[in-house]
Amino acid sequence: MALIQLDNVSKVFSSRKVDVEAVRGFSLSIRKGEVVTLVGASGCGKTTVLNMVAGFIAPTSGKVFLEGEPVSRVEPRCGMIFQSYALFPWLTVRENVEFGPKVNGISRKTRKDLARNYIEMVGLTGFADSYPGELSGGMRQRVALCRALANKPDILLCDEPFAALDAMTRQVMQQELLNIVSRSGQTVFFITHSIDEALILSDRVVVMSARPGQVKAVYDIDLSRPRKIDVQLTDEYLKIKRKIWDLVEEEVKASMNM
Amino acid sequence: MEDTDLTFWRAAVYGSLGLICFLGLWEISIRLHLVDPFFLPPPSQIITRAIRMTTGTDAVLLSDIRISASRVLTGFFLSVLAGVPFGLVMGVSSVVRATLNPIISIIRPLPALSWIPLSMLWLGIDEQQKYAIVFMGCFASILVYTTDATMRVDPVLRRAARNLGASDFQVLRYVILPGALPDLLSGLKVVLAIAWTCVISAEMVGANSGLGFRIWTAKEWSDTGQVLVGMISISVTVLILDIAFRGLERLLLPWQRKVSGT
Repeated sequence: MALIQLDNVSKVFSSRKVDVEAVRGFSLSIRKGEVVTLVGASGCGKTTVLNMVAGFIAPTSGKVFLEGEPVSRVEPRCGMIFQSYALFPWLTVRENVEFGPKVNGISRKTRKDLARNYIEMVGLTGFADSYPGELSGGMRQRVALCRALANKPDILLCDEPFAALDAMTRQVMQQELLNIVSRSGQTVFFITHSIDEALILSDRVVVMSARPGQVKAVYDIDLSRPRKIDVQLTDEYLKIKRKIWDLVEEEVKASMNM
Repeated sequence: MEDTDLTFWRAAVYGSLGLICFLGLWEISIRLHLVDPFFLPPPSQIITRAIRMTTGTDAVLLSDIRISASRVLTGFFLSVLAGVPFGLVMGVSSVVRATLNPIISIIRPLPALSWIPLSMLWLGIDEQQKYAIVFMGCFASILVYTTDATMRVDPVLRRAARNLGASDFQVLRYVILPGALPDLLSGLKVVLAIAWTCVISAEMVGANSGLGFRIWTAKEWSDTGQVLVGMISISVTVLILDIAFRGLERLLLPWQRKVSGT
């Protein structure tokens, strides 16, 4: 059974003046342990899809299933990583990471150990008592990653988490995410507008059309793991990148009415 | 030339200079008979007057300060106790907000002074009446400041908390409240000043103790010295409370200090 199942999902945002159809007839299933990336032009409804999986917004029609159960409210089993980090500025790194276990009633001692392990895993041990405001963007996103993982989510939802980072930090973060995924078998649903990012991370890449967002194509990425940055120089990589790029380009042009 | 911030000590030096010049001009203008000391006593005379009012047989100044300050703080705490929880709920629930808004819109523009007649009829001129005046002067403002502060908390943080499994109450307690605290505290600082206005006014109209009462009786005797001692006492007390409040802010918001310090 699929871990996540989007079944013919549509979303229309209605305001007093206009209705905007963000997503139309979107179907996709994600198996346990898979890393699936959704790529598409900006404004194509990627984030809307993710927000529906997380239960932040309800589909206008169609259903989202998590382990066969329809998602009807904010779903803690779907851990979210936001582009804007969304760390609590008044909590230290440690307290941020402990937030999920704390509200879920995990004992003080257990959550302390949990936080220590995750913070160590991303190399922030020296910053456990710092506030997010004292950290760089890359460090903040690492804390956000820890915070999501400490809650042991069934699936990690990533909403362009590295988009605000500089190119170098971004590569480091991608590697870090890859390491975590390969070690723990974490299921990931990742959104990005970077084809390179999608290719380096994913088992499957889903290309989304311009608004209203639909599934345009799905590619299995068979590049060997563990993937290092130099995979980008192989013919196989370039071939698939070219294919996806052509598709995305069409959609970008469509969305710009060119 | 670009204007840069001064260090604490340099600012203190300039500040003292300004103050000394101001007091000097004041004193000199009276010594040179430019101003009648009956209308405006010189600083030297005010100081001796203040000393007499704190040490002499009729040493009422300190107890007046204590009485006024305790009226201010009691009334203020009561309105915080009532206003903050209400404001939080209004901030998170548009239904509650819509329900209460008209009532608050009617109460809020009323100056605290306009409550004096009713409150005296209901409660006389004892302590409860002073607390009531402060409460009426502060409650609606605290409500509005709290509601605004609550609504300014980044919605993505609420989302993040719920995504991590927080219940509605936990979101309120662990996200909305700490997130609103910086704005809330700066709002409360403004309201604390309002509370002083309320108490002084109430004491002038009906009381037999407190700084407002002392100033008002001095006026009956054309005792300008005592009027000025009373006024300066208000300034000094408010300043001290303000410093205490800032200390409280630093204590409650360690993360803000750290961030601005780097």
